[in-house]
Amino acid sequence: MTGTALVTGGASGLGQALVRQLLAKDMHVVCVDLVPPDTHANLIFIKCDLADRRAVNIGWSAILAAGPYDLVVLNAGVSATGQFESIPAEVYRRLITLNTETPIRMASGLMREAALRSGAQLVFVSSLSHFTGYPGAAVYAASKDALAVYAKSIRAAFRNRGVSVISMYPGPLRTPHAERHAPAGANASRRMQPNEAALILLAGTIAGDKVIIPGIPAKLTALAGRLFPATVTRWMRREIFQKLDRSVF
Amino acid sequence: MTDRILITGATSGIGNALTKRIAHDNDVLVTGSRSAELVSPDLPAGVRYVQADQTRPEEAVDLIDGALESSGWSGLDLAVLNAGIGFACEPHAETPDTIHQTLDVNLMASMLLARSLSGRLEAAGGKLVLIGSVAHRGASGFATYAASKAGLHGFARALREEWRNRIRVQIIHPGPTATPMHARAGFDPGRIGRLFLKPETMAAMVHRAIRADKSPVTVSFGRYILSGAFAGRRL
Ligand SMILES: NC(=O)c1ccc[n+]([C@@H]2O[C@H](COP(=O)([O-])OP(=O)(O)OC[C@H]3O[C@@H](n4cnc5c(N)ncnc54)[C@H](OP(=O)(O)O)[C@@H]3O)[C@@H](O)[C@H]2O)c1
Repeated sequence: MTGTALVTGGASGLGQALVRQLLAKDMHVVCVDLVPPDTHANLIFIKCDLADRRAVNIGWSAILAAGPYDLVVLNAGVSATGQFESIPAEVYRRLITLNTETPIRMASGLMREAALRSGAQLVFVSSLSHFTGYPGAAVYAASKDALAVYAKSIRAAFRNRGVSVISMYPGPLRTPHAERHAPAGANASRRMQPNEAALILLAGTIAGDKVIIPGIPAKLTALAGRLFPATVTRWMRREIFQKLDRSVF
Repeated sequence: MTDRILITGATSGIGNALTKRIAHDNDVLVTGSRSAELVSPDLPAGVRYVQADQTRPEEAVDLIDGALESSGWSGLDLAVLNAGIGFACEPHAETPDTIHQTLDVNLMASMLLARSLSGRLEAAGGKLVLIGSVAHRGASGFATYAASKAGLHGFARALREEWRNRIRVQIIHPGPTATPMHARAGFDPGRIGRLFLKPETMAAMVHRAIRADKSPVTVSFGRYILSGAFAGRRL
């Protein structure tokens, strides 16, 4: 692989694994995050709070200047779990900005400003919850559904301009983030390692996949959610919402 | 029985037609972003209007809360979160501004309202209705609009389950309706526009869907035919 990649939220979790793998493949990587990732000769770090509109306005010129890009992975995201109405409004505001609004602005803006090279790939990291529903994280679920449908909506228009759009729907990953939001007694070993998800993502970009659901369990869950949406959402309530013993945001 | 009902975005289109339909036997409070002088002739007598611009969701929530408080409504039987906007253009032509507005009015404000209304809804054994769109599955000329409606869909799906046995939650996805929304969005449906349902017809179908309580539910032209309305059956 050659060229320049942009990864949002590259300092931890899936983003961090991706940044490392891309660097190992000799790509130049631009990472946008709040905290710096490990340094590397081919890595540019842009510090920007992507959950804050004004910060995005300010950081935008640096993001453009570091392009044009061959691969963009809009990965940064957070969750908020617990009883819906008990979580503060400000938390929801930041969540929607980070998970939905900023990626939409970035996709639209990168295309408008010709910051995507011809043949570039644009990846939206949604969530497996798109297929299952997510009681106990209604706003997170909303943010990821919105992102998934945005990706779907722009696919044809972007293809006509030489950019392919990829939707990724990861299930639970073994990241510090997922750890915090998991219900009490959840089995961490069932969560996929971020490295493995990153490998699957890169293989998918090479194969030209439009949709990436990493791992067999996630694929089966997505299928079940498509076939029996109400039953699977009910099951999610039992397995997750009813076991949540605290709000985390 | 007289219900206490809140309808957002009732100055035009579907919300306005729904308000006219239900105002005579209920206590109704409605919102819009325009100033009060511009709405009075369009609203039935007795309906209370609150100007609450959802491009600033946090403020809109406070204004609506304040109005419910001053009306003495400690309980709310029905909230129909219907206010919505869209911008029709190619994805790269959407600006930060149109993206912010679409997500704020359609998604953020509705979610924050659901949050702030939960106490009143629960107190009355009430129901939350979200107005989505058939576009929630994706729409190439309205990408952020489609995203906002998909967000509402996922929100309703999760919350209906989370609030089960406490507060009923429903999402209704209208199909194409002949309201001023399309012109405001910069979209000309052309001759297809003649197939759009009238706002009064859509409001009647939405009203019936609210009573039936299925969620998610699509109300569109196909449903209109199936419902027998073409044969003159009264909706
Ligand atoms: N028409 C369709 O084909 C169609 C199809 C599917 C779904 N829908 C959905 O149905 C709902 C009603 O649409 P409609 O066709 O009746 O549209 P409309 O005639 O344009 O009416 C929209 C209503 O939303 C209010 N609104 C817009 N921006 C607002 C803001 N910033 N703050 C507060 N209120 C605001 C408007 O009030 P002001 O004018 O006072 O701002 C108006 O009362 C929307 O959610 C729409 O997405 C419509």
